[in-house]
Amino acid sequence: MTQLTRRKLFAGVAAAGAATALTPLMGRSALASAPAAGKQAPGFYRYKVGDYEITQLSDGARTFPIPDGFIVNLDKDKTLAAAEAAYYPKGQVTVVFNPMVINTGSKLILLDTGFGPGAFAATKGAIGQLGYNMAAAGIDPKAIDIVLLSHFHIDHAGGLRTADGGLVFPNAEIKVPAPEWAFWMDESNISRTNTYNKGHFPNPKKYFAGIESKVTRYEWGKEVAPGITSIATPGHTPGHTSFAIASGSARILAQCDVTNIPSLFLTHPDWQLMYDNDPQLAFATRRKFFDMAVAEKATVVGFHFPFPSVGHVEKAGSDYRLVPMPWNPTI
Amino acid sequence: MTKFTRRDVFSAAAGAAAIAALPLAGPVRAATPAAGKQAAGWYRYKIGTIEVTVATDGVARFKMAEDHVINIKKDVVNAALAEVFMEKDMMTTPYNPICLNTGSKLVVIDTGTGEANYKKSNGVGGQFITNLAASGIERAAVDTVIISHYHGDHINGLLMADNSLTYPNAEILVPAPEHKYWMDDGEMSRAEKGRIEGNFKNVRRVFNADVLKRVKTYEWGKDVIAGVTAQGTPGHTFGHTSFVIASGSDTVYVQSDVTHVPFLFVRHPDWHAFYDQDGAMAEATRRKVYDMLVADKMRVQGFHYPFPSLAHVEKVGTGYREIPVIWNPTI
Repeated sequence: MTQLTRRKLFAGVAAAGAATALTPLMGRSALASAPAAGKQAPGFYRYKVGDYEITQLSDGARTFPIPDGFIVNLDKDKTLAAAEAAYYPKGQVTVVFNPMVINTGSKLILLDTGFGPGAFAATKGAIGQLGYNMAAAGIDPKAIDIVLLSHFHIDHAGGLRTADGGLVFPNAEIKVPAPEWAFWMDESNISRTNTYNKGHFPNPKKYFAGIESKVTRYEWGKEVAPGITSIATPGHTPGHTSFAIASGSARILAQCDVTNIPSLFLTHPDWQLMYDNDPQLAFATRRKFFDMAVAEKATVVGFHFPFPSVGHVEKAGSDYRLVPMPWNPTI
Repeated sequence: MTKFTRRDVFSAAAGAAAIAALPLAGPVRAATPAAGKQAAGWYRYKIGTIEVTVATDGVARFKMAEDHVINIKKDVVNAALAEVFMEKDMMTTPYNPICLNTGSKLVVIDTGTGEANYKKSNGVGGQFITNLAASGIERAAVDTVIISHYHGDHINGLLMADNSLTYPNAEILVPAPEHKYWMDDGEMSRAEKGRIEGNFKNVRRVFNADVLKRVKTYEWGKDVIAGVTAQGTPGHTFGHTSFVIASGSDTVYVQSDVTHVPFLFVRHPDWHAFYDQDGAMAEATRRKVYDMLVADKMRVQGFHYPFPSLAHVEKVGTGYREIPVIWNPTI
């Protein structure tokens, strides 16, 4: 059989001979070559949890040079090597953003907003794609009944507003974690932020200015919407929240930002991402959350898991690994 | 903070205290109906200047036969399914053909199970041309169809349900050794009864006079078309062929059926799927191809990998592991 070396392969290319025709083709007029489409498929994906219909939606992705201190407790060289081993382009990393919509039959609930239409324009569509992908999925922003927020980082809550300050989901009640609200709305807490979150500190006040009456604060361990229970997962931010979404006997966990890029941080739960405000607490939360997910064999959705962001978590030594759910071409 | 147990999560849900909702302004709106429809299954990426569209043909779901893996006991196979959180005794096989736009030609590689199967399976399989059309590529615009081997899931889509040509304007390029074998009456007369004999009959059904008029054979180690080199990877069938797609410095290996579903046969290259006509030869081919993919860090496009079926491959113990390429929300 043919030797499977690149050298042979490419020698084969060079020596290319014409295919032998068994019979000549019938007189077929030459077709004009089709132009490249240059356009990606809309980023949405559907599945059921009991009677609930869930739509995973992509808000896009950001590829950027790995900054100093990206992983706080790991040398830059090792960080670069880890990213390269995870198949990112040399020196770079890609973070993806994936909000979701839950149709409970009675309520249409958006879990986290992405960056918003302003970011879509500013990045030429790299991020802030949620509106575009919602439209492709047939979901009208005006039909969203509840916007449920996990925490107040800009990739999760920035999409409440248009570039000119309008409301993207004008008919929605906005449900926020009470401890998250308490933290970011109190100016004195800026002293309790790390570098990244210090820079972020003014943002939440901007999203919520003037729409405080639409905001409901929820507590941890409560049913915050039909079948959706808040789970305390602080550390990433002080009020960071995850959710169990249950219908009938089916249940999934939405981890939100318990971990970020799974190929780096699920496999190294002790690595401290620069966005985690309290790295020790975030690490403890990660262990508890993923030990639970492993024990339950839970289906887990991750905001920063590669689209469509649904999978299971397996234990790999003392760490974890994502087993992505195979794409189901029907629902 | 909240304890991470199911009991707590559910007692919280059960005992959910209603959260004081602020009244919403405006009239009560009707609940949004569930969409009940999956996103069209297509995905784009570039290899140099070549644009690749992966369009899923859907899946087949069936109860796994005792000898699905002929040299491995079913309970061991079930254990492997459990490792990837898949249902016991059931097999879900995805089919994922691709279409290349080389700039001068639209080229389909393998056809899926065809329109007849779309009808027969109620749309679970046979989706390829529907998803290709959703991506903006009409079947009449296809210039070239390249076939990897003569199993039904790769060739049946050459014909529509009424036996007309699916790609009325395309030439059909087939592997010379594969064509010779399945069209040979002597081989057919010697074929073992059952699946192999059935495949001979199916090949002769599909390769009707209209199809044969368009058929040209290609040789291993040669360019099938510019940028696509055929590589003999026999074992699965005797003329089974894989392809190296190259543009500029970028390459992707289109493995066809060097492995069947990766979660069984990439992890366990020594497992012989009952689809492999010569199990030992198929295993030898598999190891050579996968050792090359690992050494060259070449991406692999796998027909039976879960959509969108593009992955890197790593060596793990005596087997390999597929690492799906993350979904890129732009192209």
